[in-house]
Amino acid sequence: MGVLDWFRRKNRAAAEVGMAVFQRKYESFKRLLDANNDTLELMARLEAVAEGDFIFDMQFIRSRSQAILQKVGTIVEELNILGDNRYQALVDLYESLREKITQEIAAPVDTEIVPLVMPLSQVDRRHLHQVGGKNANLGELKNRLHVPTPEGFVITNAAFRLIIDENHLTERIRTFLDGLNLDNLEALSSQSRELQEAIRQAAIPPALQEEVAKHYQALAETLGYQPTLALRSSGIYEDQEYSFAGLFLTRLNVPFADFCTAYLEVLASQFNRRALVYLCQKRLVHREQAMSVGCLAMVPAVASGVLFTADPMGQRQGVMLVDAAWGLGPAVVDGTVTPDRFVLSKKPPIVLLEKHIHDKPVLLQGTKARGGLATVAVAPDQRRQPALTPEQLLTLGRYGLRLEEYFGEPLDIEFAVDPQGRLLIMQARPLLVESPSSEARLPAAVGEQEHVLIDGGMVACFGVAAGPVYLIQRDEDLAGFPEGAILVARHTSARYGMVLHKARGMVIDIGSATSHLAILAREFKVPAVVDTGVATTVLQPGQMITVDATHMRVYAGEVHALLEQAHKRTPSPIVASPMYAKLRRVMRWITPLNLVDPKLSDLTPENCKTLHDITRFAHQLGIKEMFDLAEKASQRDDIHSVKLKTSIPFNLHIIDLGGGIEASRRAKFVPPEAITSIPMRALWQGISHPDISWAGPIPIDMKGLYSVVSRSLTASTDHSDFWSRTFAIISYNYLNYSSRLGYHFATIDAYVSDIRNDNYITFRFKGGAADEVRRGRRVRFLGAVLEKLDFEVEVTGDLVVGRLWKYPRELMEEKLDMLGRLMGCARQRDMLMADDAIVDWYTEAFLAGNYRFEGSPQDTAGSPNQPPLP
Amino acid sequence: MAATIIIVDDEPDLLDLLKLILTEKTDYRVLTTTDPYEALSWCREYSADVLISDLRMPQLEGIELLKLLKEQDVTIPFIIMTAYGTIESAVEAMRQGAFDYITKPFRKEQIIMTIRKALGKRQELLTQQESTDNG
Repeated sequence: MGVLDWFRRKNRAAAEVGMAVFQRKYESFKRLLDANNDTLELMARLEAVAEGDFIFDMQFIRSRSQAILQKVGTIVEELNILGDNRYQALVDLYESLREKITQEIAAPVDTEIVPLVMPLSQVDRRHLHQVGGKNANLGELKNRLHVPTPEGFVITNAAFRLIIDENHLTERIRTFLDGLNLDNLEALSSQSRELQEAIRQAAIPPALQEEVAKHYQALAETLGYQPTLALRSSGIYEDQEYSFAGLFLTRLNVPFADFCTAYLEVLASQFNRRALVYLCQKRLVHREQAMSVGCLAMVPAVASGVLFTADPMGQRQGVMLVDAAWGLGPAVVDGTVTPDRFVLSKKPPIVLLEKHIHDKPVLLQGTKARGGLATVAVAPDQRRQPALTPEQLLTLGRYGLRLEEYFGEPLDIEFAVDPQGRLLIMQARPLLVESPSSEARLPAAVGEQEHVLIDGGMVACFGVAAGPVYLIQRDEDLAGFPEGAILVARHTSARYGMVLHKARGMVIDIGSATSHLAILAREFKVPAVVDTGVATTVLQPGQMITVDATHMRVYAGEVHALLEQAHKRTPSPIVASPMYAKLRRVMRWITPLNLVDPKLSDLTPENCKTLHDITRFAHQLGIKEMFDLAEKASQRDDIHSVKLKTSIPFNLHIIDLGGGIEASRRAKFVPPEAITSIPMRALWQGISHPDISWAGPIPIDMKGLYSVVSRSLTASTDHSDFWSRTFAIISYNYLNYSSRLGYHFATIDAYVSDIRNDNYITFRFKGGAADEVRRGRRVRFLGAVLEKLDFEVEVTGDLVVGRLWKYPRELMEEKLDMLGRLMGCARQRDMLMADDAIVDWYTEAFLAGNYRFEGSPQDTAGSPNQPPLP
Repeated sequence: MAATIIIVDDEPDLLDLLKLILTEKTDYRVLTTTDPYEALSWCREYSADVLISDLRMPQLEGIELLKLLKEQDVTIPFIIMTAYGTIESAVEAMRQGAFDYITKPFRKEQIIMTIRKALGKRQELLTQQESTDNG
């Protein structure tokens, strides 16, 4: 055997291996594409359900999330096959998202197997149902994020059940709750007092006492001293879909000797009058009631406060807010002192944008003798000093960003600074962020004749409401609060939350938008202005007023223009319901897309935050892998990645898996006549139809152009050659065509043969440059045409999917020809879709063969929508 | 008088959602419970016009509840809510005498329409029963 023969044989063997590898990878790519399409459809359906027209259950959320997880799992796996395991980081990300989603959709576990007490070091979000939202989040911070938190242990819901069971209170509580009546607050108060007393008098079973003692001992050993405890309530529904803001008791600085009394007091607090009213208001009465208690080593805080990772009023973007004061936390939350306010930038590197230092004359601290708390005077030279150092603020800001990213939503974080100056995170809960529509921010349409009573203050909840003034000066006034009145009071006492379900609006003299009452107002969607300074002096009991909380104004009488405007903007109560809240909580890990038209360099696993991001990433990288593979393959004789030689400005790359291109005409550039693939040939016929124009921009109406420009400003784009390439993987019967032209993405997957039963076409079209409305119109245009072409059409958002099966070969070819024409015609057509009526016009024109859309209503000379002539 | 609709499902959040929708869009009296036996006794106590039930509940399967209802009162139409993929069970329920089934997730209008049809059936059955009693 000569050397030349040896080389030839070696090359042939390598080529065969190459082709086998290529085909194996191509199979992977096909599976990736399939899973990608399935995922996008599943997500689109989930989004459609979340819009508020559907009734569904937890099982639906579970099964859909699991289906999506499974598909995305396939995508990640196939991408790694394609990329020779170069995308391992994506596997880790997928796993972490899978865990988060699984935790959200987990069914409550059998309470029988829950321990009575757990060390905080073993608690995380998986224990949500056993330890309540607050404890579960704290455990997550400690054990998953390794953020400094106090040491301690958690007494679970199971312990509460054991206590009420052994003290024969189960039935009594149920009967009591079933008979609750909000109309009689007096009776409710006395019943509440009785029930709380019964719980405070309950005996703690010895088994539980032993468990607690054991865990306290372990805690003392870890710390090296016998700490006093902070006992924090963690309600079963708290901090999830319901805030329960400030309703339950927290006991600070409790010596272990007083543990039993303090623990029972905290348990009893879930039946305090305000909590009961909240249960009724939120229709949680018929649910199981239970409470877990976090027992944390007391931190003798020198300063404490709250960090909001977003402006709760949605007015300032890209900032975090910090309120801090000397001493223990309650002083900040309950308004005893006016805390210092710091504003941090959210974009790294975090910087201090603003500081407002207030006089802080007193502080709350633990007393040494037998626990307890005392308010003491702040040393004169400390009163006007900032409660936090710049370093502490920056550390806090970094924690805030990390936590927000981890939990996937804005947070309200409580923190403390220990005597060594170390920052500790005490709790993190979802922050309800108000977001007035841009329309609502516009000046209100109010006639000059309207009499403004109050102008100024702070928005606590956006909106407009009218009603008679009801002045609350003492707690007894709450009982008489009439349905539909406007609550007017001096302070933001959380106790007023009890009547919020009856209140139409709220105006307060003193208080902040971050107070518990403000949180409750947002939860109940009661338009509210706080810190007006004058409400109780200016407004008279019984006087009819209109509160325009959005613009912080109060008018005399009913201002109908405002009320009508507001009525149109009222969100559906359905979307605000807990079931929808649950769906949205799960969806935050699934559907948001952060990789919007990313630059190639931004396409990294680190920038993926959701399953949608992974899907997008894997799809684009999958295509890239196929291209790379095809490019490598094109160096060889047997695997062709060729370019189509055509006058149409198209970068069409073709990979032939066999029989797609005439063997004798294989070259780097092939003319269209050399294509033998049945579906590709048919499609090309349509694409190259003489009336279809692929060159140059089409005339754009100005509004359409603006919508494109504004989209371009918000989404960075990369006009690199790669993404504008179109490629087709073909065989004699098969076509997989993917095209990304400008802002939209079109794919055709087709199999066309003489065996009718094997034939199918799937056409997908998504995206566009114009705004949502115009893209929607184009999608309707496409949908209407596809339907006329006998496709089964599904339109979801700006995604249109058309499917056709089992037609004879000739008809399949005809349909592909029409799809080619349609893609050409749909190019940038979204920008022209200025109104709904135009959709029908385009549909008719296309079906009549008027592919240049001559005589379009938008061609009319002098039309205000026409761009000026250059 | 407004019709009384009783709904039973083991998920309180779904019950709340349904109640919210029905009371917003109609003037029906809507009573909800997670306890199928309670639903059954309410049917008698509140002279229910329609009973809507989940198919799978830990305490009692929807089909069993249907059988109990039929023993108690044949004039109350029974609507069963099923999850996607359990159509066979829904068909079985229809065979056992359920008035209709509705697959979750469903649209607001769908449930309202189904209830409206069920109320028509209820009237029909009551009239039939009256004429039988009188005859």
